[in-house]
Amino acid sequence: MIAAAAWVCLLAPLAGVLAIALSGNGLSRRTAGYLATSSTAVSFAAAVVAFALTLGHSASDRQTTTTAFSWIETHALNVKLALLADPLSLVMMLVVSGVGTLIVAYSIGYMDGEDEERRYFAYIAFFVFSMLLLVEAANFLILLIGWGLVGLSSYLLIGFWQDRPSAIAAAKKAFVMNAIGDAAIVLSIFLLLQHTGTLDFAAVFGQAALLGSNTWVINIIAAGLLVGAIAKSAQIPLHTWLPDAMEGPTPVSALIHAATMVTAGVYLVVRTHPLFEQAPHVQQTVAGIGAVTLLATGAIALVQTDIKRVIAYSTMSQIGYMFLAAGIGAYSAAMFHLVTHAFFKALLFLAAGVVIHALGGEQDMHKMGGLRKKLPRTFIAMLIGTGALAGLPPLAGFFSKDAILATAFSGSAYDKVLFAAAIIGVLLTALYSFRMLFLVFSGEQSEPARRRLAKHKGSEGPRWMTWPVAVLTLLTAVGGWMVVAGLWHPFSSFLEGVAPAFASEPSAAREWLLSAVSLGVALSGVWIAWTIYSSRTQQAPKTPKALVEKLYFDRVYDRVFYFPAVSLAHRLAAWFERPVIERSGEEIGTGTLTGGRVAAAIQNGLARTYVLLVAVGVSAIVLLFLVFR
Amino acid sequence: MYTTTLICLPLFGALAVLLLPAPKKWVGSLALFFSLAELALWISGLTRFDFGSASIQFEQRHSWISDLGISYHVGLFSFSIWLVGLTAVVMTAAIAYALWSGRERANAYYALMLFLTAAIVCVFTAQDLILFYVAYEAMMIPLYVLIGVWGGAGRLRATFKFVAYTLAGSLLMFATIIIYGLSHGFDLTTATTSGNVWLFLGFAAAFTVKAPLFPLHGWLADAYRESPAEVSAVLSGVVSKVAVFGFLRIALTQFPHPTHDLRTLFLALSAIGLVYGSLLAFRAPDIRGVVAYSSLAQMSLIGLGVFSQNELALSGSVLQMVNHGLISAALFLLAGVIELRTSTGALKRLGGMARGRPILASLIVSIGVISLAVPGSNAFAGELMILAGAFQRGWGWAVPGLVGMVLAAMYMLRLISAVLHREVGEAVPKKAPDVRPAELGVIGALLLAMLALSVWPAAISKHSFACLDKTQAVSTNNSTPAQFGLACVPGQSSATTGRAQ
Repeated sequence: MIAAAAWVCLLAPLAGVLAIALSGNGLSRRTAGYLATSSTAVSFAAAVVAFALTLGHSASDRQTTTTAFSWIETHALNVKLALLADPLSLVMMLVVSGVGTLIVAYSIGYMDGEDEERRYFAYIAFFVFSMLLLVEAANFLILLIGWGLVGLSSYLLIGFWQDRPSAIAAAKKAFVMNAIGDAAIVLSIFLLLQHTGTLDFAAVFGQAALLGSNTWVINIIAAGLLVGAIAKSAQIPLHTWLPDAMEGPTPVSALIHAATMVTAGVYLVVRTHPLFEQAPHVQQTVAGIGAVTLLATGAIALVQTDIKRVIAYSTMSQIGYMFLAAGIGAYSAAMFHLVTHAFFKALLFLAAGVVIHALGGEQDMHKMGGLRKKLPRTFIAMLIGTGALAGLPPLAGFFSKDAILATAFSGSAYDKVLFAAAIIGVLLTALYSFRMLFLVFSGEQSEPARRRLAKHKGSEGPRWMTWPVAVLTLLTAVGGWMVVAGLWHPFSSFLEGVAPAFASEPSAAREWLLSAVSLGVALSGVWIAWTIYSSRTQQAPKTPKALVEKLYFDRVYDRVFYFPAVSLAHRLAAWFERPVIERSGEEIGTGTLTGGRVAAAIQNGLARTYVLLVAVGVSAIVLLFLVFR
Repeated sequence: MYTTTLICLPLFGALAVLLLPAPKKWVGSLALFFSLAELALWISGLTRFDFGSASIQFEQRHSWISDLGISYHVGLFSFSIWLVGLTAVVMTAAIAYALWSGRERANAYYALMLFLTAAIVCVFTAQDLILFYVAYEAMMIPLYVLIGVWGGAGRLRATFKFVAYTLAGSLLMFATIIIYGLSHGFDLTTATTSGNVWLFLGFAAAFTVKAPLFPLHGWLADAYRESPAEVSAVLSGVVSKVAVFGFLRIALTQFPHPTHDLRTLFLALSAIGLVYGSLLAFRAPDIRGVVAYSSLAQMSLIGLGVFSQNELALSGSVLQMVNHGLISAALFLLAGVIELRTSTGALKRLGGMARGRPILASLIVSIGVISLAVPGSNAFAGELMILAGAFQRGWGWAVPGLVGMVLAAMYMLRLISAVLHREVGEAVPKKAPDVRPAELGVIGALLLAMLALSVWPAAISKHSFACLDKTQAVSTNNSTPAQFGLACVPGQSSATTGRAQ
């Protein structure tokens, strides 16, 4: 039963894609939206069924593997198309299909009137399918396939508006950066294959200790997986594609570039934690990268003016928290933050989408302001989302972020440094998130906002947009109560079998104490944001150039990788391919022509020439035989 | 009889097309009928083929020049039946495409295409070196004519280059065959192996030109640019595979020791070609240039697999040969579709074609991403197997492959965007129609084949080399020299295992 549910969950969105793609123009735009939504809803229902059935099993017996057929088969390698439904993948399935359904439904309203709605819905259903394949995979290769296909759908959706050069450039950038990550994972797969002879999760993890005896091998394997995770999750230094990815439609940003796909890196680290635990230095690097990312991107978020880019940088920062948690072994804390983040970040994006929709496509926060009266319900949704992001109780982010902070605080000296970074991150988060809220909703309406509101009716959108936002608001408000320190922790105990806490558990009292500290920090951030940004009349502080330039990553990459590669290609063509290879071809061509003329001259009708030639030929052949006999 | 029928059916078709006094407009349909019949015949053979058996099947042998031990000897191994199938599919697609776009002097044109089909099938099935050579040459002649007569503006230069390169290669091969055959026997199933490096190089040079591998690819760009689209499709889709088949069937099996000694050289050439081709594809100014150089890169990848010489890489190479055959054929046909509408392939003058042409856009995007080996595609499966095998040969050999994966993403996405996205290019007429049903039928069928293989690449990968049993497969990790092909072609194993150890 669980197996069947897992397959239905996976294949329902694919069926939706096929139905939309094959019916072509025979399908109305609206129907395409309904088809996509219902296929993801079926998927969610199946995930719920699988979840409920799994709960019925005893804690030690919560893994179901189901195999369809061998995808690649030779004598040396047999990789099966196999799905795994265990607590970890079930959590991901629920999030992906659940949040996915809400966002696809929202798209029906948001994308209404768009020229190529059918294509949009086919792509987004394909994304849900790919993401489910990623999280349900039972071996590394199927995981990599899902991994690559989510990258593909992300490419297609970022570049959905095909005639915008910036969108196309962003889509290509995202794909190529992710291809680098894919290549790194492929390298790990080769090593795993060479040293374990299998790619099945269970079999590989069973040999983890054996792998660990070879320090080099395990370090490279873990590092390869880490590079893949960094690329997918937009962590420093492979993060530059995510802000540009905001060129895609807003629901896409919500689903792919906030709630699900970009958190796949965290899932990968948690899924393969037995390998990372054998490579402690790499695992510490995971946490370190998380800490650096959460600080750097949090700082950059402070100076962004595009509402979607603020949320994008905040996504990277929040995933930094998850990486930090996974790196110190607090797997269930990482997953918990992943789930609550999916709720509140999807909410923030969708609410931002309502704002953008109401303003007819405006994304610059300086051209907004004072929208609280015009969009009251969106304001409440946004307020709750922002509060959750900043970690205010009793909203979702409060519980999940504090679980990470507490575990970091209870660890070694290195973990204490990470804790310091995380607590500074709390301040930054509160600052940039409330800056955004105040810039958009409080103060006086700016002139451009007034004009745009008048022009675009300025409503909060059709019902298809409002109800998903409402559901997400509810989830954001109560979703954090799955784990309350000292009271109950159904979430972490459900995950216990797959992702046991590797780190030392903090005591409840200490956790509450730390919560109070972080709450104080967050509130001071809110207060600072209030004093600076609540009214439009005040002069905003000057922004440091390094932050505006996004810490120069893009420029450095262009200089160090892209330009040299392009110039190498040009030079190879100009200095080698054309003069040496192609010319030599032409020389041979001309040579043949000359040879032809010579040959023609030989056929002069004189018998003695022929005899001479025959003699030469025969002796040459004889010579040949003598030499090579 | 089956194999002979497989060879003779298109030959008979060629005669029929040439001689029957059919009305002009039926000539193409008649040719298509024959190629479809060939395809059906292949499918019937596939269903009867015993993939569990290592021995040659559908074998037929008639003495030809008995004094020298030369015979008409044909038959199929499990890896060659896939190549025959690829030939049937791609030739059918090419003929159907030509039928739709219309070619002048139709009788001659279709007769040559069918003759070409017969010759290629004969190369893939020949078990005698002289027969192999005859078929190999018979395959080149129609190509010279097809490029030289029906090609584009620069066709003469392209043909000269092509002729010069391939003729040099095949003459060298002819001399090698004579010398080799006289001492070792002409029949491939009974011939003894040789340790002569020069003879090996004689074969290898011919195949390197034909594939082509770096640095003997001088003819490639021009030939692929100037041929009619469907001839380019055949050239890069099928004819290039003949070279790899030659490596597999002759160079590796008959020359285990030279192969082993020179492995590093060929692996290095393949690795260089892979990165070099990818970089040139990234800067190529036109569609065909991108596809041509990506073809160079892909053939180098397959070369990497063949010369890694373990079971994983070799099975991957067979799979990838079929994949690349389908992909590059489809890409060249798409290039033809675009050129037909815009009369140019220059990327600078194209753009924005996606708007209002959903089918064209879907075809280009799906075939494009399959060709860049997006995970889950058949090309990904082949590439992964090849590189995993190369990795086992030496981890360094997989690195150019991984670099190639990233570069492939760069050049393919560049191509896709340059044709489909951004503002409408100056050469794109407003009224340029979407893909026509006939074009969709041809290219869509190729795409369907790719998708089917994406769902189940094991169809080919586990049915390529039945002869390797499990014990040998385990030991391939520790790579006894040239063990593979030898064990895989009957009549060789006893002779070579002794030598190899």
